[in-house]
Amino acid sequence: MLRHALLLAGALASTGLAAYPKDPYGSPMWDYNLERYLGEKAEVVLDDRVNLEVPPFAEDSSQVPLTVDLSGFDAPVQKVITWVDLNPIPHLFTYVPQTRVTVVSLNFRVQQATTVRAAVQDESGVWHVGSAHVDAAGGGCTAPSQASSDPNWEEHFGQIRGGAFSPANQSRLKVYVRHPMDSGMVGNIPAFHIETLEIRDTAGGQDEPLLKMTLSESAAENPMFVFELPDAPPQYEVWMRDNNGNQFQRQVGEAL
Amino acid sequence: MTRWCLILLAVMALPAQAALRYHLEPKQIAPDTWMVEGKTENFSKENGGNIVNTAFIVTDAGVVVIDTGPSLQYGDALHDAIRKITDQPVTHVLITHHHPDHAFGNQAFPERSLSALPETTALLERDGEAFSDNMYRMIGDWMRGTQVVLPTQELAPGPLIVGNHTFQLWGFTGHTGADLVILDKTTGTLFAGDMVFYNRAITTPQSPGLDTWQQELDLLAEIPFERLVPGHGPMVTDDRAFRQMHAYMTWLDALFKSSANRGLTANEVMRTPIPGRFDSIAEASYELIRSTTHLYPRYEQAALRMLPEE
Repeated sequence: MLRHALLLAGALASTGLAAYPKDPYGSPMWDYNLERYLGEKAEVVLDDRVNLEVPPFAEDSSQVPLTVDLSGFDAPVQKVITWVDLNPIPHLFTYVPQTRVTVVSLNFRVQQATTVRAAVQDESGVWHVGSAHVDAAGGGCTAPSQASSDPNWEEHFGQIRGGAFSPANQSRLKVYVRHPMDSGMVGNIPAFHIETLEIRDTAGGQDEPLLKMTLSESAAENPMFVFELPDAPPQYEVWMRDNNGNQFQRQVGEAL
Repeated sequence: MTRWCLILLAVMALPAQAALRYHLEPKQIAPDTWMVEGKTENFSKENGGNIVNTAFIVTDAGVVVIDTGPSLQYGDALHDAIRKITDQPVTHVLITHHHPDHAFGNQAFPERSLSALPETTALLERDGEAFSDNMYRMIGDWMRGTQVVLPTQELAPGPLIVGNHTFQLWGFTGHTGADLVILDKTTGTLFAGDMVFYNRAITTPQSPGLDTWQQELDLLAEIPFERLVPGHGPMVTDDRAFRQMHAYMTWLDALFKSSANRGLTANEVMRTPIPGRFDSIAEASYELIRSTTHLYPRYEQAALRMLPEE
């Protein structure tokens, strides 16, 4: 039944008339950002199975936790894109999974109260969108990183902590990186942030990464990445590269 | 054209909204001693930030005020309330810590009477403007005319004698890094500031950590008192506020530890239901979102291993 409804919605969208559904949050950026990130001809449906979690208000505008929980989304996923509607650079991250990924969590910076979106592309190319709203005093994007005022920031730069949590939480992986993630939106502090992350399977000998992620300027300082890969082995290699060409590579695994 | 100007003038001449007023009712809790009890709510445009306890002691050498409230208007209302009770001038204003609900009524009192721990004054100088922006956002017009005024007198732990009252001062750190606690030995009244909340969830934005705060509470609980005025919530005459703080903070600490050990995200922790035994603690769900933001990252990092470079 649901599938039929989705097919119908997809069919309607493909006619090019009223291509996007109405935004339940009424954001002025809805159509613009859908077109920008998913394309003018994208088939878009609202889908409660895309569970996007943010707190109701941002206690710290420079560190707002966002979690995409797809444990209720039972269809295979091609790609996931998240964005923060009213941020100067709305895009937060995009990832392409090669295995089932039920949870991805990362903190973002928020410039003002805004809607937040996660768009999940299924195998047929249809985008399933989940939304949430966060209230905020704002200014997180144009506030300098703590590292930018810390003369000793290089002592900790690139330090990486990690852990795998299993099986109580399936295969949940946490990786914490000391990185300023400067957005480039603060005077005299150039953009300096991690652009790419990959999770590779070290045991299975697969060529394609289990997950490939790209990050934008909305990502917060010292990122704490959380991933849940229920079907993947608990031995991973995490690889990251920032826009200055620094590469970081670590083994994470052995369930705690 | 002229008509529009006239309409504009007429609109401008309208009284700018009925004036907002705090109705402060000091309650005598001991000889010479009054408490002004605030609501146990969060800041709102309805309550004007009257969510804090202030107090004053009328000695024979002047009035000692403890905290000045969230705005100039509150400070004025408090000063007016004092004048209705005594002709004595305010000689000492003891600011327990730098949070806006305790120090933003400073303007209403003589600058030379404003006293605090030196660390508190430094913190107010650092955070005052940001607090002020946030207060305008949260309580709006109640803040009209309010400006940050720094204390001019330095307090130090030890005795303080004002007329016929003898006070003992302590400096703690658990709530903000500089937290004044005042015992009026003459009446046995302990003014705990925000080191103690009762029936109101603790706030943690500048707390050095729940462990530090709890250790200091154990020390604080050793002080003998007849009655205790917490920073938020009703006065108590026994150790129930300490017991409640201990149970709640132990739960919060254990929640953060076990969540970090299970690899939970901040979002998952924030939506933890508050156990029923804490039903009497106001704003616990709201403060859990804030405290998770302030404190959970430390627990998360502690649950991870440093990964060596390959």
